[in-house]
Amino acid sequence: MYGDEEHEVHEEGEDEIVQEDSWNVITAFFDDKGLVRQQLDSFNEFVNVTIQEIIDETPEIVIKPESQHLPGVEAAEEKEYIIKFGQVYLSRPQITEQDGESVVLFPKEARLRNLTYCAPLYVDVTKTEYTRLEDDTVEEKQETFSHVHLGKVPIMLKSERCNLHEASTEQEATNLGECKGTSASWPAPQGGGYFIINGSEKVLIAQERMANNHVYVFKKSQPSKYTFCAEIRSVVEGSTRSASSMSIMMLAKGKKAGAAGVIRAQIPYIRAEFPIFILFRALGFVSDRDILEHIVYDLDTDPAMLEALRASVEEAQEVQTQEEALNYLGKRGSVTGASKADRIQYARNLLIKELLPHLGTEEFMETRKGYFVGYMVHRLMLVALGRRTEDDRDHYANKRLDLGGPLLAGLFRLLFRKLCKELRMQAQRMVDAGKEINVLSAINEKIVTRGLKYSLATGNWGEQGKQGIRAGVSQVLARLTYASTLSHLRRVNSPIGREGKLAKPRQLHNSLWGMFCPAETPEGQAVGLVKNMALMCYITVGTPSLPVVAHLEEFNTEALDEVTPADIAAATKVFINGVWLGIQRDPTALIKNLRAMRRQVAFSTEVSIIYDGPLKELRIFTDYGRTSRPLYIVEGNRLLITKHHIRRLIAPAPDEEEYAWPQLVQDGLVEYIDAEEEETTMIAMTIADLRNAREAGSNTGTTYTHSEIHPAMILGSAMGKQAMGMYATNYQTRMDTQGFVLYYPQKPLVCTRAMDYLKFRELPAGINAIVAIMCYSGYNQEDSLMLNGSSIDRGFHRSIFYRAYKEEEKKAGSMSREEIEAPDPVVTAKMKHGTYDKLDADGLCPPGTRVSGEDIICGKTVTLPEDPSGAVQRFSKKDASLALRGHEAGVIDQVRRGWVMLTTNDEGQKFVKIRVRTICIPQVGDKFASRHGQKGTCGITYTMEDMPFTAEGIVPDIIVNPHAIPSRMTIGHLVEALMSKVASLMGSEGDATPFTKVTVDNVSQMLHDLGYQRRGWEVMYSGHTGRQIRAQIFLNPTYYQRLKHMVDFKIHSRGRGPVQVLTRQPAEGRARDGGLRFGEMERDCIISHGAAAFLKERLFDQSDAYRVHVCERSGLMAVANLKKQQFSSTIYKEGSNVYQVYMPYACKLLFQELMAMCIAPRMQFDRDALPP
Amino acid sequence: MGKDKEKKSKAKLPEHLQQRVDYVTCGDKLNYNVNTFTSASTFTAMGVDNSWDFRNFQDNFKIVINKLDKEVMEFDMIGVDPAIANALRRILIAEVPTMAIEHVFIVNNTSIIQDEVMAHRLGLVPLLVPPHLFDEKVAEEAPSEKNTVVFKLDVTCKRKPDGSLENDKVLSSQLVWLPAGSELPEETTCRFASGQAHLFAEPDAQAPRAVHSDILLAKLRPGQTIQLEAHATKGIGKQHAKWSPVATAWYRLQPEVHILQKISADSEVAQELMATCPGLFAADGENNLRANAARGHELVLEKLRRLMEQERFSSVVAYRKRKDHFIFTIESSGVLPPQELLAQALDILQEKARVLKEKL
Repeated sequence: MYGDEEHEVHEEGEDEIVQEDSWNVITAFFDDKGLVRQQLDSFNEFVNVTIQEIIDETPEIVIKPESQHLPGVEAAEEKEYIIKFGQVYLSRPQITEQDGESVVLFPKEARLRNLTYCAPLYVDVTKTEYTRLEDDTVEEKQETFSHVHLGKVPIMLKSERCNLHEASTEQEATNLGECKGTSASWPAPQGGGYFIINGSEKVLIAQERMANNHVYVFKKSQPSKYTFCAEIRSVVEGSTRSASSMSIMMLAKGKKAGAAGVIRAQIPYIRAEFPIFILFRALGFVSDRDILEHIVYDLDTDPAMLEALRASVEEAQEVQTQEEALNYLGKRGSVTGASKADRIQYARNLLIKELLPHLGTEEFMETRKGYFVGYMVHRLMLVALGRRTEDDRDHYANKRLDLGGPLLAGLFRLLFRKLCKELRMQAQRMVDAGKEINVLSAINEKIVTRGLKYSLATGNWGEQGKQGIRAGVSQVLARLTYASTLSHLRRVNSPIGREGKLAKPRQLHNSLWGMFCPAETPEGQAVGLVKNMALMCYITVGTPSLPVVAHLEEFNTEALDEVTPADIAAATKVFINGVWLGIQRDPTALIKNLRAMRRQVAFSTEVSIIYDGPLKELRIFTDYGRTSRPLYIVEGNRLLITKHHIRRLIAPAPDEEEYAWPQLVQDGLVEYIDAEEEETTMIAMTIADLRNAREAGSNTGTTYTHSEIHPAMILGSAMGKQAMGMYATNYQTRMDTQGFVLYYPQKPLVCTRAMDYLKFRELPAGINAIVAIMCYSGYNQEDSLMLNGSSIDRGFHRSIFYRAYKEEEKKAGSMSREEIEAPDPVVTAKMKHGTYDKLDADGLCPPGTRVSGEDIICGKTVTLPEDPSGAVQRFSKKDASLALRGHEAGVIDQVRRGWVMLTTNDEGQKFVKIRVRTICIPQVGDKFASRHGQKGTCGITYTMEDMPFTAEGIVPDIIVNPHAIPSRMTIGHLVEALMSKVASLMGSEGDATPFTKVTVDNVSQMLHDLGYQRRGWEVMYSGHTGRQIRAQIFLNPTYYQRLKHMVDFKIHSRGRGPVQVLTRQPAEGRARDGGLRFGEMERDCIISHGAAAFLKERLFDQSDAYRVHVCERSGLMAVANLKKQQFSSTIYKEGSNVYQVYMPYACKLLFQELMAMCIAPRMQFDRDALPP
Repeated sequence: MGKDKEKKSKAKLPEHLQQRVDYVTCGDKLNYNVNTFTSASTFTAMGVDNSWDFRNFQDNFKIVINKLDKEVMEFDMIGVDPAIANALRRILIAEVPTMAIEHVFIVNNTSIIQDEVMAHRLGLVPLLVPPHLFDEKVAEEAPSEKNTVVFKLDVTCKRKPDGSLENDKVLSSQLVWLPAGSELPEETTCRFASGQAHLFAEPDAQAPRAVHSDILLAKLRPGQTIQLEAHATKGIGKQHAKWSPVATAWYRLQPEVHILQKISADSEVAQELMATCPGLFAADGENNLRANAARGHELVLEKLRRLMEQERFSSVVAYRKRKDHFIFTIESSGVLPPQELLAQALDILQEKARVLKEKL
C-alpha cells in the first residue's frame, strides 16, 4: 500500500472527499469503538492475556520437608515437592445459590440483589513429588489437578467475559433488564465499562503517571546543589518490581572550588552520589578515552563537550581499574564490614540487578548499560551546553494512563503472590507433619476473591491494611444523567497532591490537543488534574515489542555489542520502549518501511514510530497507556481516503464486503498517532488546507503528513452533569439510591454532531423552554430566574425523585437473630416514634402507600438474649426498623424482596429494597441552567396572565436577567436561542457543531426572511399593565435543564434538637437535624451591636449552662450530692468550702480533659467579689 | 380616527402631541411613546381636558369580529384603554371558571406510568362539561352531585388472537362518565343524593366527556391495567392552569404605516421601500409613494422596522401602532365557545367593577 501509491491515479477534485464526508468516517469509528472502548479493551487484555502471564511468571513452589531430627531414627528418604500452575480458565459470571445450584448471573440481578458480578477463575495445578531413594535414584510422581478454583474475578460489563456480550439488539438488552444503551445495535455508548460490586456500579478511573524508561533532563532551579539532572525510572516490562530510578547530576558551584560542572551519578542502594567515571569503570569501561567516546561519540568534532567533561575526568583519577571502581561502590553500599571480595561481588551484583533493569538483569549487559549511561550523560551535556532545552514534564508524550486492565493486573499479581505464599506455608506445614499435600485445601481462593472485591468496593488500591495504597481509584458510577455516566467512564485522574499550588500540571498543555477535553474539568481544587478524554481519543493497550525488534534486526539494525562508539555519531540510535537496541545507518528507509508495516497492520496499529531528527534517534513505543487518536493519512498533500471509500462506508455495493472502521485502518487510510509521534507530524486542520498547500506548489507550500478527521471532534462535551432527564432506559427496574427522572424530557432543538454519538437525543435531560431575557418586576436579579407558573402546572420541568432504601436480615452471633416483620409493641423494646401503621403483616410497606418523614417503611426486630438469671423479661425483642428520611415524603414505588448471598458458603438472607418516589414540582429556590453554564435559581413563579406576551400570544416559560450575559460572555447561549427560533419556525433541528459554516448572520437572515426581527427580538406587552413594552425583548426557545439542587432537599432550620453526647453541642448537618453555627463573626456582630447580655443569655443561659461544685482550696471540681445536700472535695476532705459555679458545659469538659492530661485547671475565688 | 374628538374639548392638542397620545412609534430598537395618558389633568396646562368621558366612549367604542369558529375568535376592540383590554385578557385566562379533573382515585395501576404523572395528565384534559351547571367546591365541602362530575377509566391491554394489541393506547375517549356518582363512595367520600343524568336530559345536551377524544393518556403492554376514578370540580385558571378555559388569549395593537412627506414613487428611497416591503407600499395616482393598510402585511413589517434605523427612511415613513385599537384573539381550549367565553369574561369584569364601585 505504501509503496505503490504512484499507481493510484487521482483526478483533481473528483475523488477528494469534502469535510462533510468525514462524518461517515467518524460514525464508522464510533460504530466500531463506542465511547467506553478503552475500558473494555484494557479489561479484555487483562482477562485474556495478563492473568495467564502473571501466573506463568510466578516461580514454581518448591517444598522440602524439614523433618525433625529424632535421635535413633534414620532420616527417611529425601522428598521434594514442586507445585506448578498451568493453564487458567475464566468462566462466565455465575452465582451459586443457597441450594448449591449454580446459575448464570446477569447484571440486573447482581444490581438488585446486591451481588458481585464476578466469574470464577480456575487453574490447572500440577504437583510433582520427587523421592530420592536409597540407591540415589529419583522417583518422580506427578499429579495434576485440573480446574482448581483460584478465586472470583469481577467482570466488567460488556467485556468479552460478560453475559451481556452477546446481547446485540435493543430488544435483547431490554429483556435482560439493561438500558438500551447496552446493546450493540445502539453503537455509540456501548454501555458497560464498569463493574458491579455488592450491587453498586463501580468505575475504575484511569490513573495518570509519568512514563517509565524515559530519560528526562531537567534544569534544577537555583539555589540547588545541582545545575542539571538527567533521570530515568527504569522498570522491566510487565514486572511488579518497583521502579529503579537512576539520576545523573551536574554539580553547581558549591563550597568546594572547582567542583562546578562535575558530573555525578546516583544509583539505588548506593548511599551517596559518586563520580560518573567510576560508574563507567565499574561497568568495565576503563580508559578515559573509552569512556569519553561513549559520551561524546565523536571526540574530534565536539571539543566543547569534551572540555565540559574535563572536571569529571579529573575527579575520578584515583580510581583507575574496574576492581577499584567496584570496591569504591561496594564501600558505599548498604552492606558494611564485608571483605573486599564480598564488596566487589556485591557491587557487581548490584550493577547487574539494580542498575537500569529495563536493559536486562542478566550478566554481560554491561556494554548496553554503559552505552545507556553514556547516552544519559550525553543528553545531560546537550542541555548543559545550551544545545537543547530541558524536557517538559507536562508533555503528554511523557505520560501514561493506567486503565482498569493494568490496575487490576497489578492487584491480581499482588494477591496471587499472597496466595502462593500462603500455599507454600500450608504445604510446608502439611509436609512437616508428614502428611500428603492437599493442594485443593491449601489454595485459599478467598484471598483473590476478597482482595479484588475489597479494592473495587472501597477504591483503596492495594492490599488491605498496607501502606502506600491509592484511594479513589474505583468510584461509584455517576447515574444522574446519561451524559454524566459517559463522562465518568472517560475520566482520567492525576494523583498529584490536590494541595500542591504548582499550577503547571493543571494547565492545558499543547499536547492535550485532540486527546482531552479542554473544557471539561472540575472547578476548585482538582482543576486540571481531573481530565476527560476527548471523543476520539484511544488509549493503547500495549503489544509485545518482540515482532518489532525482530523486524528491526532484519532491517540491519546493528546491535550495540557489534559497533564501536565512533559509529554512533553518524548513525541513528534505535530505541524501543526506552531500550537502546542499536544503531541504524539508513533511518529514512527504515522509518518508511516501519510506517508501511504499521499501516498494513503487519504489526499492531498502536505502535508509535518517532524519528527525532535533532537527536538522531528513532524511538518506537509499544507499551500500554499511551494516548493516541486517529488521523487521516496524507501523501503528497492529498488524503489517501477517497469518495470511493466513503461510498463503501455508507452503502457497500451488494457484491462488496462490509466496509467499516477496521477496514479503513487496514487499508492505511487512517492511523493512530500518539502524543509523541504527533510532534513529528504535520497535521492539516481541514481538507481545504491540503488543497491550498497543493495549489501553493511543492516549494512554497507546506507538506502535510496527516489531517484532522474533523476539527469539531477535538472538542469534548461539557454537559450539565447535574441536570436531570432520563439517566437510563431501564430506570424503572433499577433500585438506585438516588435517581431523578424528568416527566417530559425533550430532545434539544439545537444539537451538535457529537451529541449523535453521545445519544443525547435518545436520553435527553432538559426542555426547550421559551426564554425571555429581560427585566420584569425584578424577581430575577442576581442569577435568579422567573418561571411561568402555568407552564409548571402543565408539566414544565416536573420531575420524579426516586430513593431506594435497603434492609436485610443480618446475622450477628448465635443469640440474636434479626427478622423482618411488623414489630409487636407489646414485646418489642425501643420502638421508634414514627408510625408503624403503614406496615403490612410482612413488615413491609405496600406500594402506593403515602409516606412522610420518619414513618417506618420496613419493620425489623432483633431478638434479645434471654436473661441469664431466668427472670421474666418484659421485652423479648428490640426494634431495628427502617424509617424514611426525616425531611422527605413520597409514595412507596416498588418493593423488591429477595435473598442475598455474601459468599457461596453463607446462607442466603432475606433482603429487601424499597423505592420511594417523590414528585418534585419546580418552585422558588430550585436550580435551572442552560447548556452554557448560565445557572440560576427560581426567584418567583408568575402565572401566565402576569407574564409578558408577544403579538403572537407567546408567553415565556422562563425570564432570565440580562445582567447574566455580558460579564460571562456566554455567546453560545444567545446563538443557541437564535438558532432554536429558526429551527422551531422551520420545523427542523439546528446544527450547532463548531467549525462548520453556520454563522450568526446566516441564522439572523433566515429569521428575518421568516418575518421576524433579525436578532430574535420581539415586541412584547406587559402582562400587568397591558401596555406595549418600550424595549424589544430577546425571546427565543432555549434548552434548559433542571439541576438536582432543589430547596426541598436543602431547607433546614431548628429550634431545639439532638446534641452530641460528649460535648452537648448541637449535632451537625441537615440529615441529623443539626444546628446552624452561630460563629465568631456572628458573635462579633452582637457584641459590636452592644447586646452582650443578649449574647450571654442566648449562648450560655439558654443553651450550654452547667452547674459544677468547686472546692475552694484546691480549685478543682468537688463531689456534690444535691439530694442529700452533701458536698465534699475529693482532695481536701475537710477544711475547704465548696462553691457552686455556673459555666458552659464545654468549659467543664475542657477542665476535665485537661485533668485527664495531668494539667490541673484551678478555679480561684475572690471572696470580696462573690455575692453575699 | 379622531374625527369626532372635538365634540367635548374645545381646545385640541397640537398634532405632534396628539400623535404621541394616539400612537406608539416603532423604531429600529425601541418603541416610543408606549405610555398612555389617563390622568384628567395631564394636558390642563395646554387647556385640554383629558378626563374620561362616557359619551365619548360610547361613540367611539366598537367591537368588530373578524373571525369566529369553534375554537378561535379574533376581533378588533377599538376605543378602550389598554387597562380594560388587559383586564379582559387576564380574566379570560385566569378567572372564567371551567370543570377539570381534580381528584384521581387510583384503584389499580400496573402500567409504567406513575400514579402522580397519570393524575397530572388527566387533570390537563379539557372536559366538555358546562361549568354553569355546577357549584364551586369549597375545600371543606363534601363532594356531591352539585359540585363534582365523576369519570371512570378502566382499561386493560390484551393481546388479540391475531397478535395485535387491544387498548395499547389509553385515550381520553375512554373516560366514562358516571352520572350516578362514585362507585367507591367509601374511599372517595363522594355520595350523590341524586344522579346527574337529568342535567343533560335535553335532546341537544351532550353528556360529559373530554373535548378531544384522541388525547393519549398512557400506553400499555399486554396484561397491564389502569383502573381509576377521576373527579372533576369547578375552578379557575388562577388556581391551576388546567382550569383555564383558553389555550391563550391575547391582543396586539393595530399597526399603521404613515407617509410623513410626499415623495415620488420613483425616488431611490421609495423604490427601496417598495422592494423591501412588497405590497405595503405602492404608487398612488400622482406617482407618489402611498402606504397600504399595514394589516395583512405583517410579514414585511419587521423589514420596515429595520429600515427605520436609517434617517432617510424614518424621515419619510413612520411605523406606528394605535394605542386604543386592540386586535384581540381568544383561543378556547374547547370547553366553551370563544364568544361565550368573551361574554362570561365581560360579566366577570362588570361584576368586579360593581364590587369596586360598592366598596368605594
